[in-house]
Parts: sequence; C-alpha cells; structure tokens
Amino acid sequence: MRKFLKHAWTACAAGAVASGLALSGGAAQAANAPSVLTIGTLYASSGPFAVASKGQFEGLQYWADTVNKDGGTYVKAFKKKIPVKIIAYDDQSSTATATTLYNQLITQDQVNILIADFGSVLTSVGIPLAAEHKMLLIDPTGSGANFFTKKTDYLADVSIPSSTVWPLTLGHFLLGQKIQRIAIIYDSNDFDASQAETLKATLEKGGVKPVYYHGVPTSESNYTVLLHTIAAQNPDAVIEFGYAPNDIAFLRNLSSSGLHFKMTFTIFPGQLLDLMTKNVGAKALAYTYTYPTPPLVQTQKVTYGPNTAAFVEQFKAAKNAEPNFLDVAGYNTGLVVQDMLETAPAFTQLSFHQALMDMSGKTTTLLGDFKINENGAQLGELFSVGQLVPSGNGNKMVVVYPKEKATGTAVYPAPAQ
Amino acid sequence: MALLEYALVGGILYGVFFSLVGIGLNLVFGVMRMINLAHGQFIMLGGFGAYLLSSHLGLNPVFGIPLAVAGGIVIGWPLYYAVVPRLQRSNDPEMLSFILFFGIAQVIEAVTLLVFGADQHSLPDSALGSGNIGVLGQDFPDSWWVAVAVSVLCIGGLYLYLSSTRLGFATRAIMADRDEARTTGIDVDRVAAIAFVIGLSLAGIAGVFVPYMVGSVSPSIGGGLTTTSFAIIIIGSLGNPLGTVVGGLVFGIGTMLMQTYYASWSNLVPYALLLVIVLIRPSGLLGKAVRSA
Repeated sequence: MRKFLKHAWTACAAGAVASGLALSGGAAQAANAPSVLTIGTLYASSGPFAVASKGQFEGLQYWADTVNKDGGTYVKAFKKKIPVKIIAYDDQSSTATATTLYNQLITQDQVNILIADFGSVLTSVGIPLAAEHKMLLIDPTGSGANFFTKKTDYLADVSIPSSTVWPLTLGHFLLGQKIQRIAIIYDSNDFDASQAETLKATLEKGGVKPVYYHGVPTSESNYTVLLHTIAAQNPDAVIEFGYAPNDIAFLRNLSSSGLHFKMTFTIFPGQLLDLMTKNVGAKALAYTYTYPTPPLVQTQKVTYGPNTAAFVEQFKAAKNAEPNFLDVAGYNTGLVVQDMLETAPAFTQLSFHQALMDMSGKTTTLLGDFKINENGAQLGELFSVGQLVPSGNGNKMVVVYPKEKATGTAVYPAPAQ
Repeated sequence: MALLEYALVGGILYGVFFSLVGIGLNLVFGVMRMINLAHGQFIMLGGFGAYLLSSHLGLNPVFGIPLAVAGGIVIGWPLYYAVVPRLQRSNDPEMLSFILFFGIAQVIEAVTLLVFGADQHSLPDSALGSGNIGVLGQDFPDSWWVAVAVSVLCIGGLYLYLSSTRLGFATRAIMADRDEARTTGIDVDRVAAIAFVIGLSLAGIAGVFVPYMVGSVSPSIGGGLTTTSFAIIIIGSLGNPLGTVVGGLVFGIGTMLMQTYYASWSNLVPYALLLVIVLIRPSGLLGKAVRSA
C-alpha cells in the first residue's frame, strides 16, 4: 500500500528556483521564490521499522504544520516566508522500495529538501543516490558508522549521534563500575555493529576484553539458546544492541529463561518506553540499562526552537498523545532544516550544507548540542546511560552516568526479579 | 558439551514447533498443488486472535486454539469454494495461485495493519506458566513446552486423520492423483476444502504460540513465516505433510547449533539446507525417489 502526496507544480517551482538563483537583488529573488518549499521524505507504514519510522514522520509533519500555521518558514535566500509541503512515500521498511522512492523524490518530484527515512538500514540506500545527484540528504536517525567515513557535502546527520559515539559513555560507565566480564551481542547491521565495535574498542582500551562478542541476524527473534550460550561465559553485564523487535524478543526471552545478570543493557527502552513496557512488562524491564533520550531526559537551555518540556506540552496539546523520542527526532529534523533555511544565503544544496556546518557547535535544540563534522556525522546530542528503576506500577528513568547529568545512582548488581 | 546438549534439546523443541508452523502449508500444497503464499499471514492472524482474547477479554491465550479452528472454518471454507475450483480449471493453476494468494496475503497484512497498527504485540509470559522445565538437565521456559505439546497433539491428530479416517484416506488419494481420485467417486472439492480448512486452522494454532517463540506478533511477520515454512517443507518433502516434521527438526536443530557456535549466520540455515537438499535430494528428505522410465 503506497500512500503519497502528489504535486503537479514541482517542475515549475524548480525552474523558478533556478531562475531565481541566476538573478541578483532581493526583489528579484523574492519574485522568483517558489510558492511552496517541497520536502521529500520516506516513511514505513509496515515492516520492522514501521513503529519508529512513523514516529519520526509524525514529528516531521508536526513541525511542518507548526511552521505553516505561522505562514511558513523564513528562507534567507528569498528573504521571505514560504510554506512547506511534505511529499512522502511509503517504503514499507524495504531497502529496495526505498531506493526507488528516493530516486523518485530526487528525479521526478525534484524536491527542494531531501530527508531520509528512519534508521541506518533505510537511510543507507539514500546516501549514494543523494551524492550522485548532488543533493544534500538530511539524515534524521541513520547513524551507521560506515556512512561517515569521508568528507561530503551531501550528508548531514541531524537528530541522533553517529552510532560510533553512542556507546562511549556506556563504555566509560562499565569501566567506572569496574565490570570485568562483559558480553556483547549485536545485530549484524551498520547501526548495531558500529556500536558494538566502538564499545569493544573502548573496553579494550580500558583493559577489558569482552567474554562474548557475537553478531546475530537483524531478523533474530529467539534469544533463548543465545542467552544460554552467553550465560556459559559467566558475564556480569550483557549488552544487547538491536532494533526494537530484537530488544523485545531478547528481554522477553531473558525474563522467561530464569537467567539473571547483574547488568543488562538494551537500546530501545530509552527510545520507545511505552512499546517496550507493553510487550516486555514493567517487571521484566526493571533495572535494565539504556540510553535515555528526550523526552525522557530534558534539554532545558536551547538556542533554537522550544526546549524539551515546551515541545512536550505543545505536542500533547496538538496531538493528544505523549511524544516519544522518534517524534522528537522528526520534529528536531524540521527545526534544523528551518534554521538552515534561515541562514543559507543561497537556495542551493551546497549553501544548505554550509549553513549546517556554520550552525555546528553554535546551536542547541531540544535534542542537545548540534555538532556535525565534515563527514556529516553528528557528534553532539550525546546520550547518557540510564537505568529503569521500579516506581509505582511501572519504572522511572534514572540517569546514572555521566556524573554531571546523573539524577540518581546505578542499582548494581540488579536484584533478581 | 553442555552447550551442545542445550542447543540440541532447544533445537528439537524449536523444530517441533516450526513443524506445526509449516505443516498446514504442506497439507494445502499436497492436496491442492498450490502454494498458499498467505500462509504466514494466517499464522499472524492466529497470533492476533490470541492477543485479542488475552488483552480484551482477559482469557488465557490457549483459548486462541478453538478460535483459530473457528477462523479456519469461517475463512477457509468460503475462500476455497470462491477461488480454488476456478483456479483448478485454469491453464496454469500453480502460477495463478501464487498471484492470488500473494494478493490475499497483502490484503490480510494491510487490514491487520489498519486494525492493530504496526506495533509489536506480545502475550503475557505467565499465561503459559512462568517457570522452566528441564529435560536432560536443560531448562526451557514453560511456554516452549506448552507450544511443543500442542504442536505434537496437532501433528499427531493430523497423522491419525490421514491414516485412520475415511476422509483422511480420501485426502491421501487426492494427494497421490487428483484426477484418479475423482474417477473413484471421491468428492474432491469437499475433501480438499476440508484439508484447506485444516491447513488454515493449523496455521492459526501455530500463530497462538508465535508471540512466545519469536518474541512478538506484528502485521509484518507473515512474509518471513511463509518463507521459513516453505524452506521447511522442501527440506522435509513438498506435498508430504509428515515430512514437514523432519524438515522442522532439521531446521530447528540447525538454527540452534548455528546460534550457539556461529550466531551471525543462523538465519542462513533454512536456505542453506534448502539448497543442499534440492541439489542432493530434490524430492526432500522424506520424498519418494523419482524414476524415469
């Protein structure tokens, strides 16, 4: 099922934009400005990435609705506000479909701004296409280390740190806790494998060699035998890097296996806590460590847009629902684009990229410090280490590391549930 | 050695359950000579049926078993008569059935997505027992044992049906030669419709335990389950429902051994085995050898 918003005026708009660039003078530029800015993106209504992808898309749509209510976003190149229009196609979590649809957004729809779908898997196929067409790919949550290995003007990771830096704080926390026997199990994809590699390297630098270090297929759905194999190595801490369906299967299998480790870490309780609680249960999630993400942790002082608390209030009022991290990430992507358009002197992809580079290190949004390098990797917005601690009928998030962000101390070893 | 034992016991349990996952597909193929590409989606429906009973009515998920049988009858009987006789009269029923069941799979997935959303849904662990049961010193969750017990009962029941009842004899006669069966007076459509209903019911029953065996159920899991089922029945023997048990065991043990000793390659197991079997013994492990005169 493919849902898409079709537009008929794109060619005219692109022509108008091109003509506008050729002319000088503010009045001429304003006259040649497109009537609507087109933002092309993909989302997945089905498949393994649907939940996260739809959240990210919903956040982006919310941003577009917000700016359009205000007459659009200011575009410095045309010195005027222009409404935004999102052209979105459903890739159904398929990289093959996503490839075709990214191509369609670039070559047929000729969108002004290109935004990737959720996550590294669905972003990976857009990166070479965008570079080939000299189009800047705004990458909300594709954080695979392999994306950011060389200098580029056509990729910018805006709403999530590069996965190579995600586990740095986790690694330092493990070393600080003096945990020696650590098992790492990860999905064999860019997002998870790069985190596993970084964590392993960080631990080895601190003199700790993981007692178990293995990849599993991203489609892995039964961890019972794997957990037993891990337990045979007597680890104190078990770190599982996977996507949400993997985390659900892993934590459920761990809960039903009768095994217990002093520390268990998975990624998605910190991003999709409601989903994880619904599937795994509050009791089985108790004392699990994770990366706590906004809105579970808040950025108070921002230089652009609302802070986390203000966003949560606005989102709840508009959508009648609590936002999750992916909603925040999608919204933040829109904010970064908005800031970029407000500062880019010309309406070109290279000028957009330069604007992002200029914003880097000077901008703080509801996700934290915006800091990208010349390879397009996001090095700001770093994650802390949090632990879910029982509270009432559920769990509350306690940030346990680093010290300056900590809201409590780690419960280690975790009591058996 | 303990790891090997655990992998073997786990593989047998996992394999028995996956025999149930695949057996309905093989029964339908054996009788109708059609691949039900919506098989995984019917399994997924069974999972959502159990989820509805558990989350909305507060019932134990095992009540999903009679619901799956009822669903098999309500969906399977009219679906068979609506499409299969027409397909059988066409020039290329196998290819057309591919397309038709692919379409049905897409419809089921889309409707499920609309009703339940894309989220993963799980069933409470405690519903099937929250402890562990050990065999040969190897502990596995209660839910695994319940899933295996139900699988054995279903497979045993199907065996008895095929080997001890008049309808079962007729079903086997159709499997052997549809036209010849018709000439002997067997009401082929009626018998095949019953087999189709049984096939869908078995898929639905397997679905009840999917949230326990593969973590959760979501609208998108159907395609993967169909592919795995297809590999299992080819490994066992395409068209021979009981060959599925052998295929399931080979798949389960192979997967768990790979998870234990070379985890990152474990999802290749069914397809690697499928390739090997097709090359060495195209009729499957329990298939009859084909002799050219």
